[in-house]
Amino acid sequence: STSLATQNRNAILVSHRQKGNPLLKHIRNVRWTFADIVCDYLLGQSSCALYLSLRYHLLHPDYLYFRIRELQKNFKLRIVLCHVDVEDVTKPLLEVTKTALLHDCTLLCAWSLEECGRYLETIKVYENKPADIIQGQMDTDYLSRLNHSLTTVRHVNKTDVVTLGTTFGSLSHIMDASMEDLARCPGIGERKVLFSIQSKTLA
Amino acid sequence: MVQFHELIIGDLLDDPNGGLVVLSSGLSLPKLISSLVLLHSSSPILPSRTVSELSADLPAHNRLSLYASNSAFFVTPRILTVDLLSRRLSPSLVSALVVPSAHSLSESSPDAFAVRLLLHRALSIFAFSDRPHSMVSAFAKAERTMKCLYVKKLHLWPRFHVNVADELERDPPVVVDVRVPMTRAMVGIQKAVLEVMDACLKEMRKTNKVDVEDLTVENGLFKSFDEIVRHQLDPIWHTLGKKTKQLVSDLKTLRKLLDYLVRYDAVTYLKYLDTLRVSESFRSVWIFAESSYKIFEYAKKRVYRFVRSDGVKLVHGQGKSVTGKKRKSKGGDKNEEEAGGASSSIAGSGLVLEEVLEEAPKWKLLREILEEIEEERQKQALSREELLVEGEADDSGIVLVACKDEHSCMQLEECILNSPQKVMREEWEKYLLSKVELRDIQTRYKKKPKDPKGFGILDGVVPITPAQNTEASNCINKLERDALMAAASEIRNQAKKDHIVGEDPQPHDGIVGHRKGKGKGKVRNKKGVANFQRHPGSENNNHIKEAARDAKVEISNSENDGEKDESNPVAAGGFCEAASHTASVDEPILRKHTTEESNSTGSRTAKPLPPVHFYALESDQPILDILKPSVIIVYHPDMTFVREIEVYKAENPSKKLKVYFLFYEDSTEVQKFEASIRRENGAFESLIRQKSMMIIPVDQDGRCLGLNSSVEPQASSSQNSITRKAGGRKEIEKEMQVIVDMREFMSSLPNVLHQKGMRIIPVTLEVGDYILSPLICVERKSIQDLFMSFTSGRLYHQVETMVRYYRIPVLLIEFSQDKSFSFQSASDIGDDVTPNSIISKLSLLALHFPRLRIIWSRSLHATAEIFATLKANQDEPDDTKAIRVGVPSEDGIVEDDVRAENYNTSAIEFLRRLPGVTDSNYRAIMEGCNSLAELALLSVERLAELMGGQKGARTLREFLDAKYPTLL
Repeated sequence: STSLATQNRNAILVSHRQKGNPLLKHIRNVRWTFADIVCDYLLGQSSCALYLSLRYHLLHPDYLYFRIRELQKNFKLRIVLCHVDVEDVTKPLLEVTKTALLHDCTLLCAWSLEECGRYLETIKVYENKPADIIQGQMDTDYLSRLNHSLTTVRHVNKTDVVTLGTTFGSLSHIMDASMEDLARCPGIGERKVLFSIQSKTLA
Repeated sequence: MVQFHELIIGDLLDDPNGGLVVLSSGLSLPKLISSLVLLHSSSPILPSRTVSELSADLPAHNRLSLYASNSAFFVTPRILTVDLLSRRLSPSLVSALVVPSAHSLSESSPDAFAVRLLLHRALSIFAFSDRPHSMVSAFAKAERTMKCLYVKKLHLWPRFHVNVADELERDPPVVVDVRVPMTRAMVGIQKAVLEVMDACLKEMRKTNKVDVEDLTVENGLFKSFDEIVRHQLDPIWHTLGKKTKQLVSDLKTLRKLLDYLVRYDAVTYLKYLDTLRVSESFRSVWIFAESSYKIFEYAKKRVYRFVRSDGVKLVHGQGKSVTGKKRKSKGGDKNEEEAGGASSSIAGSGLVLEEVLEEAPKWKLLREILEEIEEERQKQALSREELLVEGEADDSGIVLVACKDEHSCMQLEECILNSPQKVMREEWEKYLLSKVELRDIQTRYKKKPKDPKGFGILDGVVPITPAQNTEASNCINKLERDALMAAASEIRNQAKKDHIVGEDPQPHDGIVGHRKGKGKGKVRNKKGVANFQRHPGSENNNHIKEAARDAKVEISNSENDGEKDESNPVAAGGFCEAASHTASVDEPILRKHTTEESNSTGSRTAKPLPPVHFYALESDQPILDILKPSVIIVYHPDMTFVREIEVYKAENPSKKLKVYFLFYEDSTEVQKFEASIRRENGAFESLIRQKSMMIIPVDQDGRCLGLNSSVEPQASSSQNSITRKAGGRKEIEKEMQVIVDMREFMSSLPNVLHQKGMRIIPVTLEVGDYILSPLICVERKSIQDLFMSFTSGRLYHQVETMVRYYRIPVLLIEFSQDKSFSFQSASDIGDDVTPNSIISKLSLLALHFPRLRIIWSRSLHATAEIFATLKANQDEPDDTKAIRVGVPSEDGIVEDDVRAENYNTSAIEFLRRLPGVTDSNYRAIMEGCNSLAELALLSVERLAELMGGQKGARTLREFLDAKYPTLL
């Protein structure tokens, strides 16, 4: 049954406790199968998730703590997937946050079963994915980099970037442009100039 | 100071605790405040009467001594708060606080925090607002503002207040309202924009997310429309689909188009449309609408049109009839006929580009009015000699033209100085030149197809957009483009020739050289050469140049006339002075030229013009008091400025004042002006109603219950403990401390934490925003920040460093109270796992940093609650340690580093996003140059020195110098 083992490695293992949870309907991009496990969802070799509905938490405030204690030290990433299904969240969420934080769990909030399912799927799918999509190295072409940097200046939008680019020719010329030259650009006038000028001093 | 100002101050001072004054915009709030400050300064024998500014540039000990000096200061709420918290300033030292823009205050804003920290028994708080409209923008806004200012009195001073109206209307200025019809094309554009707006609004209504009633085209004309929409959509903003968001931003764009229509000349307008098309084409909805096509068509027709070389007009679409009509409308305008003379053709295609270069109708009108003024003035001068009128000294004879922005000022000045045609031509040449560069790029692109490992930077290549493709498929458009290109390259060759020719005269021509030194644009220099050609050495060359020009471009008679006149050295000298005056950077607002020189240049009619000053309304200068003009031409009508004129007249009752208003007939400009007055009145009426029903608690001033500010924090914390711990067990523990990064004082969380009874220690942190304990470090992200810093990669690095230095690194995701508590609606989640979704990004973050803890907070107050809970069993953080965490070199940190607290954050953010700049070298760059302008000029070698590496330096330098790809 090595094939079963490899199969299981590519699937989310679901605790029998979760039987009947409507959330399971929404795990569609990844295979899942029931198994005997301590956590609710086993998402990788050392990552697991506990599912908690806030409404359930209001009825059984100690439930989360006991579940976390069961996990012991067996996982590197321990996720508490919190389904926000009550209106008045502040108090229950505070309790959940505190419990999760003090017991080394990462809290993720979701507002619908679809979203809960998507978190589980994503964590499974991205199990071995490098972090490059959140390292800001996505856009390497000139225009997006220019947009990316210039739009940090307040009130400068993408249209203005085009205007500035076509008027001055290069970024160094834009940075070196005088107040008056900036004011001459259509759309840049108004208050925007003030902001661009202010932001020119670094210190 | 006018009489009603005295009344306002008198009223305000009635209550020693102060009050809130709301007055109509334009009723000289600055003067009001300055006289209040003068009245209030306890030591009238101040060495100098200037109020110094307490900026963060001042080292802390300097601020300390200034505080002790008992004078008045300007201070930002951020510095005030930080100094109060770090106990550099004791609240009892402050006797009065003036808040000039009360409308921007809210319970948790930094200003309110400062007020709360300052509050003590003898403090007077005077708050002002001259934007009644924003005082009614939210539910019971005025009442809530008063509450967080701890004042009990509300004073309303609308323009229609009896005392104000009496005084302003006693001797009003002479007003001439001039309306000029827009050109056919302008009307066409306006109509088309309104149609598209209407379509967008209809689309918006379909989403069922907004209240339909407020969504009218008329409302859409105002900036406040965005507020209406945002106000309704904000609570659900993150759940909205892309399309709705796009509609909101499209409406904004369309409003701008309407505004620019009456402000910009035809060529600039077309240029703006072009850039819009480039930057928006993918996303926006409106650009593909039927009427939008009309906008572009009309805008083009205002600038150029095509005819077959045999003289038959090119027929495409409704083009023909429209051109025909415009012909007729132009009939009376000789200028345009003349300007339309030049043409260029491309061999073979049979298509000829004909320039139209429509001038703004107001330009002509302005000239006529100026001429009329001068005529009147001369008549008066004659009669004055005979009659010896007494009021002579009062009449400065200064004519002031007020426009909305700097751009119009410069352009109008050139119109008057030279001729409108010349201005149009310059704009047109610039426009064509920017087009021809594209062609160069495209040919280069063809020769060297796609660099495989390319950064794309060096080539400056842009992928051709689908919009362009469809356009190119259209045969006529292609021909059009070719014709444009031909015209453009002609002009460019021309410019090259000019350049070669122009090289020679420079050594002789001191003035031109001088002007060059001022760093003005190229076009200006060229003009300079053309105007100052009286120098014997240069005359010859310039004639060659003129001749060359004549061959291609028909120069209007006017210019030639001007040239002859310029041989008069005195007149030209006068111009020089004025021109260099204009060129000086010190006085950007005042543009002036003298009578002589306007005689000498440009004017075809040769009628004399009076001296004119130009003023940009947005520059916010007390221009009327400086110049004391006797004639004001309001080129762009603006309510606030009208009021300023009224006050100015009331202050100088003996002065004769004539005001001209220039409106475009039946334009949105008129509509907007009238509606702005209606709106303000409406706001005041609502404020008056609110005031009559306001319930103000006796202890609102916060001073009668003996709750001294110094004991307040403890008091509230002990109250908390009573509710938290049964029996109100006495807290023996010392007050909680939180270390907060300086930059966080822009946000409201420090304020709320302080309200919770925590002690805030402001310092500059390298890692994290809040340090709760030696173990817990928190990075706070608002939702918008979260999305942005995921994209930029900033968050990844921040978490990386937090994980490195702290046992419990925390990411705090803070939702705002009035927005929905969720990222997206269930329907937006989609079927697949996609890398762009926030879910994917958060999951990836969690996977890569399993030790990272995430806090999801519903609101500011929830955050404060969570912080308090987390701190409960932890040690207090140590600020001296926290400051050192993550700082690259141990010796780099200076005790009480003042610069650290006031670096320009947006410039730094900009810097950090440049390629080659990393977390480890951006500080060194900041040390190495004072401004971004300076950075732009640094050599690779110097950069490598600063950045500690050739590679990064080269990447940065290449990015800075990369040619921006010109787009059509």
